[in-house]
Amino acid sequence: MAIEISNLQYIYMEGSPFEKEALKNVTLTIGDGEFVGIIGHTGSGKSTLIQHLNGLLMPTSGSIRINGEDITQKGADLKALRQKVGLVFQYPEHQLFEETVYKDIAYGPKNMGLSQEEIDERVREAMNYVGLSEKYLNRSPFELSGGQKRRVAIAGVLAMRPDVLILDEPAAGLDPAGREEILTQIRALYLSRKMTVIFVSHSMEDVARVAGRIIVMNQGSVALDGTPAQVFSQADSLRSMGLDVPQITQLIALLRRRGVAIDSGIYTIERAKATLLMLLGTKQENEEGKSC
Amino acid sequence: MLKDITLGQYFPVNSSLHRLDPRTKIILLIFLIVAIFLANNPASYILVTAFTLLMIGLSGVPLKMYLRGLKPIWFVIIFTAVLNIFLTPGTKIYAWGYETPMTWEGLFLAGKMALRLVLLITASSALTYTTSPIALTDGIEKLLKPFSKLGLPTYELAMMMSIAIRFIPTLIEETEKIMKAQKARGADFENGSILRRVKALAPMLVPLFISAFRRADELAIAMESRCYQGGAVRTRLHEIRFRKQDAWAMVIFLLFFAALITLKMFF
Repeated sequence: MAIEISNLQYIYMEGSPFEKEALKNVTLTIGDGEFVGIIGHTGSGKSTLIQHLNGLLMPTSGSIRINGEDITQKGADLKALRQKVGLVFQYPEHQLFEETVYKDIAYGPKNMGLSQEEIDERVREAMNYVGLSEKYLNRSPFELSGGQKRRVAIAGVLAMRPDVLILDEPAAGLDPAGREEILTQIRALYLSRKMTVIFVSHSMEDVARVAGRIIVMNQGSVALDGTPAQVFSQADSLRSMGLDVPQITQLIALLRRRGVAIDSGIYTIERAKATLLMLLGTKQENEEGKSC
Repeated sequence: MLKDITLGQYFPVNSSLHRLDPRTKIILLIFLIVAIFLANNPASYILVTAFTLLMIGLSGVPLKMYLRGLKPIWFVIIFTAVLNIFLTPGTKIYAWGYETPMTWEGLFLAGKMALRLVLLITASSALTYTTSPIALTDGIEKLLKPFSKLGLPTYELAMMMSIAIRFIPTLIEETEKIMKAQKARGADFENGSILRRVKALAPMLVPLFISAFRRADELAIAMESRCYQGGAVRTRLHEIRFRKQDAWAMVIFLLFFAALITLKMFF
């Protein structure tokens, strides 16, 4: 599912004193099977952008093609589109409404008009993806913990088997363990389902860990676009947008300034750890255990 | 769709109506509504309409906003108009062969009722567009103050009202968000039979109620943890007070009201 966005512009509340140009001249192509992270400060237009991708918002001008089909045309089949492009909103647990976890996850497939067996299969599959055991099937979603509720809500979108999965701040408001779990599961999902994933976040650390490409939004337009290494090498321009590079990249930069010969393109703790251990190992060999 | 609900929405510009004391505006609105109901002949209708238009002009709010505020009630206006046209006895204009012909009297009555409804909504919108919800409740509280001697809990009422008003935009926003989230899961709020559409509301209403309760709970906790206590001991940051312009507004309104009574008596 290739997504081509060209010259997208969106104005909120046009013609009122609250008028605001939320997106200006956004042109982007997201290829099939990419894992894209979108980062940006509050109000940079990232949430507005993703709501265009499944037709929840219609652009003021510009066009969006998904698999070559222009979804901004009148008469575009939005229902079919929303099934292909699954969107998980911020705090998705706030949208739960059914009596049981099963029924809530089944809501999407049911709206697609699938058979009971098919729905049943998809609900179980989706729960499996988000790591919820079947003993929760008949529990009320409202008596689950925050992290579990969120997983039920994400499963509700996955049950529609989308080709593109968009997640808006999926880890917001979770404790570190919950964050870790959600991120790992999304990454695993991406690898096993081979879907295109668009991951919106304002956390550099999270995006750096999972995405293969990073798009930085600033004041309604695309400011930077590239691999994590390319984007995080622009520390100054990121800072000017109220963003920053991951803490570990800052640490590496400090070490380099102190004369440590270390690769500057390190932005995850795992890689930093490995590289530093290696470096320390060679140092120890050279200097016979002299402490640093 | 929900963006169309503009009644009760503040429109922040600086105009002579914005600067008036909320109490003046509330009292004058009540009397303007009385005036709209008092109008009974063409001349008085023209006067009332002209006065409402003058208010729109003075409010600094674009006419478009007022028209948008009328949108949700177009159906009611047209429905009552149609009923009036066909169900008022009088001189026939056209008969369908049924017993309820279209009448001249009906046509006039329909026009009058429609104009009345439009004026009522527009005048009320003029108040809410030019007065922030906080100023509005302050005004109401001050106006109700004399009744507190009779045991009416004015302060509590005002507080409840300001909280309710404060949360209208929040809940609208929340509703939009939930609708979008359910639409992303294939929900369809716009098509199908009435029964289907009513059923389709559950996925929206349940989360909305839950979030309203959650917000109420959070607000109560936040207020308690800041030792909130209502009543006479509280003072205000911004005191509202009558000024010269309020006196002018009263004078202009009295002139208008006197003119209306005269028109009613002599035409």
